This record gives sequence, C-alpha cells and structure tokens, in this order.
Amino acid sequence: MSRPVNVLLVDDDVWLLEHYTDLLSAAGHQVISAKNAVVAIDLIDKQAPDVIVLDVLLPGATGFSLLHELQSYDDTATVPVIICSGLTDDLSLDDLAPYGVRRLLDKTTMTPDDLLAAVRSVTL
Amino acid sequence: MNEGQGRSDELSSIIAAAHELKAPLALMRQLSLSLGSGSSQQDIERVAHRIQLTSERALRLTTDLTRSSRLQAALFELEPVNPYELCEEVARELRPLFQARGTDIEVESGRRHLLAIANRELLHRVLANFSDNALEYADENATIKLSARQRGAKIRLSVRDYGPAVPAQVWRQLQSSLGKRPQAVQARPNSSGLGLYLAGQFAKAMSGEIGAINHRDGTSFYVDLQSSTQLSLL
Repeated sequence: MSRPVNVLLVDDDVWLLEHYTDLLSAAGHQVISAKNAVVAIDLIDKQAPDVIVLDVLLPGATGFSLLHELQSYDDTATVPVIICSGLTDDLSLDDLAPYGVRRLLDKTTMTPDDLLAAVRSVTL
Repeated sequence: MNEGQGRSDELSSIIAAAHELKAPLALMRQLSLSLGSGSSQQDIERVAHRIQLTSERALRLTTDLTRSSRLQAALFELEPVNPYELCEEVARELRPLFQARGTDIEVESGRRHLLAIANRELLHRVLANFSDNALEYADENATIKLSARQRGAKIRLSVRDYGPAVPAQVWRQLQSSLGKRPQAVQARPNSSGLGLYLAGQFAKAMSGEIGAINHRDGTSFYVDLQSSTQLSLL
C-alpha cells in the first residue's frame, strides 16, 4: 500500500475518469477530477493536489496549456505531473520534464498497476 | 494534383483515421482492464454496455470511411428529405451513448414540414458526425441540440453543443480547415479533423456545404442544403 496522496485526474473521457477514480480510491488516495483545463486550474487553486494525472487532448485549452499555466506560479510549478495519453509516441519525457512531467503513460498499453506505480513513484 | 501530393494526402488520411480509431480502442481496452476478479455482476454489465457503445462509435467512423471511398464511384440519389424527422432519427440512435456518458441529445422544436434536397443516408451520417464531435466537447450534463431551419432557399441543419469556448487560434485553424483534408495530429492538437472532413465530403455530394459558429458557451456545426420546392407546388 502506497502513501495516500491527493490526486487530480484531468481527462475529457468521463468513463476513464470514473475508472481511474475507482482504481486510485481503492488504493487509498483522495481523488478529484476535471474534464477540461479550466476546471482543472480551479481545482488546483482550491485543493492543491499532490500529483496531477493529465491527458493531452482536452476540449478548449489542451494539456500543454495547463502545463504552461502550472509553471507560471511558484506553488504549482513543483507539482509532479503524469501524462496519460494515447499520443505518447509523439511525446518525449526529456522535452516535457522542464514542465513538471515526471512520467508518461500510454493509454494503449498501460495497465491499472502502471498508474498506481506511477503515482507512487512521483510522490515518494 | 500530382501523384506525390495524392499519396501524401492519402497517407495523411490514413494517419488521421488511425488516430481517430486509437481513442475508442484504447478506451475499450482500459474498460476491459477495469474488470477484475472482484467485479460484481452489475459492474460487468455496466462495463460491457460501455464497451458496446464505444465499439459502435468506432464502427460508425469506419462505416463513414468506406462510404467516403464510394463517393467518387457511386451516385447517391438526392430526394426531398424531412430534416426534422432525420434529426429525430439521429437523436434516437445516439441517445443511449449520450445518456451513458452523462449528457443528452434532443431536437429543438420547429417547423416540421420542411423539406431539403438530400440523400437520406449521407445526411444522417453528417448529423451523426457533428453529434459525435459535440459529445467530445460538451460539458457534463449538457444537452446537445439538433435543429432544422429554413434560411432563404436553403435548409440549415445544426448541431449545437455547450462547453468551453474554442480558443481563437484553434477556431481560426478550424475555420480554415473545415472540409479540407485531415491533418496529422501534430499539426492540429485537438483533432485530426477527419470526422469534419468526411462530413464536408458528404455535404458536397449533396451540393451542400458545412460550416461552424463559435458561441461564448460552445459551438454549432451546420450543413446547408437546398430547400425542396415540392411543398410549394402542392
């Protein structure tokens, strides 16, 4: 069992949000979720999550916009981000690390354990 | 168009199709992985229903792709079509998917005796495509609205969603690419535009055109078609 942390999930798919919420809650984590970057920013301001699990393709502002926003403020610049996307082939952890991204998870190959392990590893 | 450009467009379309199919396939995989040994019968039924709806969504795209490839070779007969009835038909077909995802789809009341010159099958695909796009971008609990209205000699069928405003830069890009060949996802982060490209092709085959309107609280996608004069002759 990993240390319980506050996780913010950002994904436009409500079924995936529900699935990941169930998974992380069962592991003892506090989970909040947002379907788009605007709601996510509001939740970050109000609830200061320990880690953010972020999809890249979001309606309106993309996940990349949210990464830029996070880097604009001292209190959010250090929040670890796990990118969870179907587009990780096109992404590089080296390129995204300066934006707080600590792990890349590929939705087409990841397992539930991969998500739990990623959350655990970035919040040690 | 030269042969090289043709191949490049073809490759671009294949990449776009692969991208658009990746999302529902990845979702189905994740949903199936959510079923562990401790899942209740109720969980299994809920997830199975979601997998079924997601696979049907992916299959609609593959059907559109194959239909699009037949546009050059086959003639799609045009006839007077009641747009209001067609909106109702599309809403009925998609409502289970929308409701399962926490939204809804309905047809705005309006004049029910309009007639547009269209191919029933292609127009159905255009509206289903716009609706599917709306589902992706609509807020939770929002209702997507289909409507049909007379605009001069044209009939406009619209699909209105309620969600975050589209940023100006993305909107300009969307406007300039409406109905054009889909681009690889790197060039356009929100979507490959494949669905709208196909809708544009189907509209063109009915001598119509598609367009979009940006609202402060969402977007309308529409198709304009020639109005039938059949009613006025009665």
